[in-house]
Amino acid sequence: MLRKSWTGLLAGAAFAFASLPAIASAEELTIFWAEWDPANYLQELANIYTAETGVTVTVQTTPWSDFQTKTFAELNAKGDAYDMVVGDSQWLGAGSTGGHYVDLTPFFEKNKLNEIFVPATVKYYAEYGGKLWAVPVEGDANGWSYRKDWFEDPKEMADFKAKYGYDLGVPKDYKQLRDIAEFFYRPDQNRYGLALYTQTSYDALAMGVEQTIFTYGGDLGDYATGQVDGIINSPQNVEALELYRELYTFTPPNWGQAFFLENNQAFTEGLVAMSMNYFAFFPALANKATNPYADVTGYFANPPGPTGKQHAALGGQGLSIVTYSKKQDEAFKFLEWFSREDVQKKWADLGGYTNHAAVLSSEEFRKATPYNEAFYQSMQIVKDFWAVPSFADLLFQMNDRIHPYVTAGQGTAKEALDGLAADWNATLKK
Amino acid sequence: MAVVRAPHHKALNRVAIAAVLVVTLIFLAPIYWIGSTAFKPRSVATSVPPTVFFTPEITPFIKLFTKRVQLTKPYDPAAYEAASWWEKRIYDGGERILKVGVSIQLSQYPNRFMNSLIIAVISTLLAVSMGTITAYGFSRFTMAGEGDLLFFILSTRMLPPVVVAIPMYLMYREVGFNDTHIGLIILYTAFNLSFSVWLMKGFIDEIPKEYEEAALVDGYTRMQAFFRIVLPEATTGIAATAVFCFITAWNEYAFALIMTNRRAQTAPPFIPAQIGSGITDWTAIGAGTFLFLLPVAIFTFALRNHLLRGVTFGAIRK
Amino acid sequence: MAVLATLDSGSRAAARGWSDLAIRNLFIIPTIAFLIVFNIFPLIYSLGYSFTEFRASLNKPAVFVGLQNYRDLLSDPNVWRNFTVTAKYVVVSVSGQMIVGFGIALLLNRAFPLKGLVTTLLLLPMMLSAAVVGLFWKLLYDPSWGPINYALGLGKFDWLSNPDHALYAIAITDIWMWAPFVMLLSLAGLSAVPQHLYEAAAIDRAGAWYTFTRITLPLVAPLLLIALIFRTMEAFKTFDLPFIMSGQASTETIAVRLYKMAFQEWQTGRSSALAYIVLIVVLAITNIYVKYLNKVKER
Repeated sequence: MLRKSWTGLLAGAAFAFASLPAIASAEELTIFWAEWDPANYLQELANIYTAETGVTVTVQTTPWSDFQTKTFAELNAKGDAYDMVVGDSQWLGAGSTGGHYVDLTPFFEKNKLNEIFVPATVKYYAEYGGKLWAVPVEGDANGWSYRKDWFEDPKEMADFKAKYGYDLGVPKDYKQLRDIAEFFYRPDQNRYGLALYTQTSYDALAMGVEQTIFTYGGDLGDYATGQVDGIINSPQNVEALELYRELYTFTPPNWGQAFFLENNQAFTEGLVAMSMNYFAFFPALANKATNPYADVTGYFANPPGPTGKQHAALGGQGLSIVTYSKKQDEAFKFLEWFSREDVQKKWADLGGYTNHAAVLSSEEFRKATPYNEAFYQSMQIVKDFWAVPSFADLLFQMNDRIHPYVTAGQGTAKEALDGLAADWNATLKK
Repeated sequence: MAVVRAPHHKALNRVAIAAVLVVTLIFLAPIYWIGSTAFKPRSVATSVPPTVFFTPEITPFIKLFTKRVQLTKPYDPAAYEAASWWEKRIYDGGERILKVGVSIQLSQYPNRFMNSLIIAVISTLLAVSMGTITAYGFSRFTMAGEGDLLFFILSTRMLPPVVVAIPMYLMYREVGFNDTHIGLIILYTAFNLSFSVWLMKGFIDEIPKEYEEAALVDGYTRMQAFFRIVLPEATTGIAATAVFCFITAWNEYAFALIMTNRRAQTAPPFIPAQIGSGITDWTAIGAGTFLFLLPVAIFTFALRNHLLRGVTFGAIRK
Repeated sequence: MAVLATLDSGSRAAARGWSDLAIRNLFIIPTIAFLIVFNIFPLIYSLGYSFTEFRASLNKPAVFVGLQNYRDLLSDPNVWRNFTVTAKYVVVSVSGQMIVGFGIALLLNRAFPLKGLVTTLLLLPMMLSAAVVGLFWKLLYDPSWGPINYALGLGKFDWLSNPDHALYAIAITDIWMWAPFVMLLSLAGLSAVPQHLYEAAAIDRAGAWYTFTRITLPLVAPLLLIALIFRTMEAFKTFDLPFIMSGQASTETIAVRLYKMAFQEWQTGRSSALAYIVLIVVLAITNIYVKYLNKVKER
C-alpha cells in the first residue's frame, strides 16, 4: 500500500530529526527564561561553568508575552527540552501542583540555602504549599528612574515650588509623584510626566496597579483563604486605581500597551520625567550608548502611599528543575555551583540581581551601580500577585476589567473592581 | 472612473496612471520601512522626525547573528583594541558579544531559519505530491459521494488554526510529537493538502484526456500514462501550487507559536522574540525580518505569472 | 466531471498492471485518510474534553460536567463580545479590502509602461508573514517616532493603545496586506470584459457611470464575490495581527480568545467547547461559501 510507504517515509523523517539533537554532547543543560538582560548575564555566567566543568549550559529565551505559554506547553507535554526553568514567582502553584517542578526542599536543607538567601526571596521565589521548588536567581522589584537634570533645574524648581508649595525632588509619597507627573506634563514641548505599565499580554498592567494598591494599604485578596470580596474592591483599592488612572493621563501618547521596552524607550527618547520599570531593565538606562541621558538619570524606590505604607511589586524568578529532565543530576550540580558565594558575587558583578544575603547587603554591591541602592531598598518592601495554579485566569480577568478604565476612562474604578471581585470569586471557588 | 479604453480618454488615462504611481508608492512604503530598518544605525531607527535616507550599515546583521549582552560598566579598552572591526561595532552600541573561551556565541537565528526551511520544504513536497495524485484521481475517475468528499477536503482548510491546535497539542503530547520537526511538517502538510488538491484539480481538469487515451491505446499502463503524459503537462500547475504551499508554511505563526519550543521553532515566532532585552532594537529585528522576507519576495517575482491561479484556489480559468 | 474510463475490471488498461479502480483508490484514499487522521480525529478527541472540567497543566483527571462548559460560554458576555469584535473586524477590514482592491484594479486596467512590474510589486504585502508585518506596523503607528503620523501630519494621534481606535488600526494593516488579493481577482475579471461592449456603449454615448454600473460591475461581480467570500473566511479566523499588534479586550477576536483560554489559562476542557462553537460557525460559513463558489464556477 502506498499509505504504508508514506508512513514509512514519515517515520524515517521523524527518526532523522529526532536523532539530530542527540548528536550534540550528552553533557548539555538547557535553561529556559524570558528575553531580557538577566538571561544574557546568566548565559555569561553559565559560560564560566562550561569553562570549569566542560558541561555546556545554554540559556534559551522567548519574549515575556509568550514565556508562560511556551513553558507550560513544554511542561504539560512532559517534554524534556528544558532541564531547568527560571519560572515566574506566580507559577509556583501551577508548577508544583502540576508535578512539573522537582521538590528542592532536601536540597535546600543539605546546602543550608535557607540561611544563605534573603528570607523574603525564598518565600516568594521558592515556597509553595510548605515546600521549596526553586533556587532564587534574579531578585527584582518595580522601581523608578527619573531625569535628574529636569528635577535639579533651578527654573523648574522655582516654578514647582510656586505651584505646589514644596520643593521639587525625588517624590516622598504618591501625592508628590502625582504632582511631579502633572508638573512635567507638557505635550506642546513633547515632554510628559511619566511612563507606566499598561500592557495586557502578560502581567505588566497588573504589576503596576497592584503596587499602587499595596502602597495604598490595600490587598488583592486573602491568599490563604481565597477571600476576595471586600478586599480587592475595598475603598483604598478604588482610591489607588483612580490614582493610577490619573497618572495615566500624564503619560506620552499611545501608552496603553506599554511594558519595559516602551518605558525605557520613553526615557531614552527624552519624553518623560519619570519611568516605572523593574530594576532588571535599568542597565540599559545607565549605559551611555543606549541612553543619551545616562549621566543625568537617577533612580528611586516606589514611594509610600497616603498611610505611610511602602511596597513594591515583586519581579524576579527562581530556578527550578524540570521533573521530566533526564539530566537532573547535572542540573543539581549546576544549582550547587550557582549557590556558592563566589559565584553569586560573580553573578552580581555580571549584572544579575543576587538574592544571596551576604552579597546583597555588602557595601560593594550597593555601590556597584547607580541603581543598586534603590534596588536594595526595594527588596525589603516587595509583595507579590497570586501564586495559585489558576493565577493566569486571575491575571487576564484583572487585565480585562482594569485596562479599559485605566487607558480610556470607561466606567469607574469601583465598577471595574466590583466586576473583578465577581470574576475572581467565580475562578477561586473552583 | 470607468475602464473605457477609447482614445478620447487620454487625459483620464494620464490621471489614472499618476494615481497608480501614488498608490504603488503608498503600498511599498511600509515594505521600504521594514527593509531600510535592517540597515539603519540604532538611533536612526526611532529618530524624530523619521529618517528616510541615511548611510546604510551592516551592524544590525552582526547583532542578528551573535549573542550579546548589555554592558553594565565601561568596556575594557585593551579588549576593545584587540577586537575585530565588527566586534567593535557591538562595543560601540553599548553591548559585548558573549563568548565561550575565545569562540563567539552565535544567536539562534541561523537555527530557526534552517528549521523554517526544512519544515516548509518537506511539508510542501508532501502536500504537493499527495495533492497532485489525489487531484488526478478526482479528475479522471468517478467516485460515490465525490462532491461531499471535495467539500470535506476544502472544509479542513477553513478551520482556524487554534481550533485544530488544541486537540493536536493533546494528541501530540501522547505520542511525543510536540516540538519536533515531524510534528510541524504533518500539521503544515494537512493544512496545505486541501489547498493543493483543489488547485491541482483545476490544472489537471484542463489537460485533455485524449492525450492519455492515445497513450493507453499505444500500450501504456494507466500508471505510465500518469507519470509520462499527465505529470509533464501539469508542471506549471505543480510549480504554482508548490510556491503557494511554501509561502503558507513559511509564514505560518499560530501553530509554530503553540507547538514548538527549543528544537523545532521556526522563524516567525522567533523574530518577535529578538525585540531586545532592555530597549527595543528595531534594527536587529529589521535585519532578521529582511533575511526572512527575501525568499518570499524572490518567489513572488519569479512566479508572478502563476500567482493568479494560486491565490484564487484555482477558481479562475485562464 | 470528466470521466475517462469506466471502472469495470475488463477494460483494456486494467488488463495490464493496476486496475483503474485500484489506482483511483490508491490516489484518493491516502489523502482522505491523512486528513481524517490529522483533522477530523483530533476534533473527535477534543469533543470528549469539551464536556469536562480539565486543565492540561494540572495532574488531575478530567471530570465530566455535561453541557456546563457550553452553558457557561454562551452566557458569558466576554465571549459574545469576542464574537462582536470579530464581526466588526470582518466587516471593516473586508469592506475596506474590497473598495481599495477594486479601486486599484480599475486604475490598473489600462495599458501603461511597466504594468507587469507594478502589479507584481503591489502583490508583495500579501506574501509576507502576518506576524512580522504586525510587529513592524507597531513601529509605523507609533505616535512619537513612527513615520505614519509624521507623514500624515496626525501629530500624537493614538492608533494602537486606545481601545476605541485599535481595532480599526489593525483593520487598516489587514487592508494593506489583503487589498492586493482583491485587486488581483478584480483585474482578472476586468480583463475578461469583452472590449466590444465598451465600444457599443461609446457609440450609444452612454455616460461613464452608466457604463460602469451596467457593463463593468455585473461582469466582474462573480469574481468579486469569490474575493469577498475568501476574505470573509480568513478575516473570521484572524489571530496573528491582533495578537501581535495589540493585547487588549477591544481587539480580542474569537481566535485570540481561544488561544488565551487554551494556552495561557490552560482551561483545556472549556476551550475545547469554545473551539466547537467556533467550528460550527465556520462550517456554516463554509457551506454558504461552497454553494456560491459552485454557482460562480458554473457560469
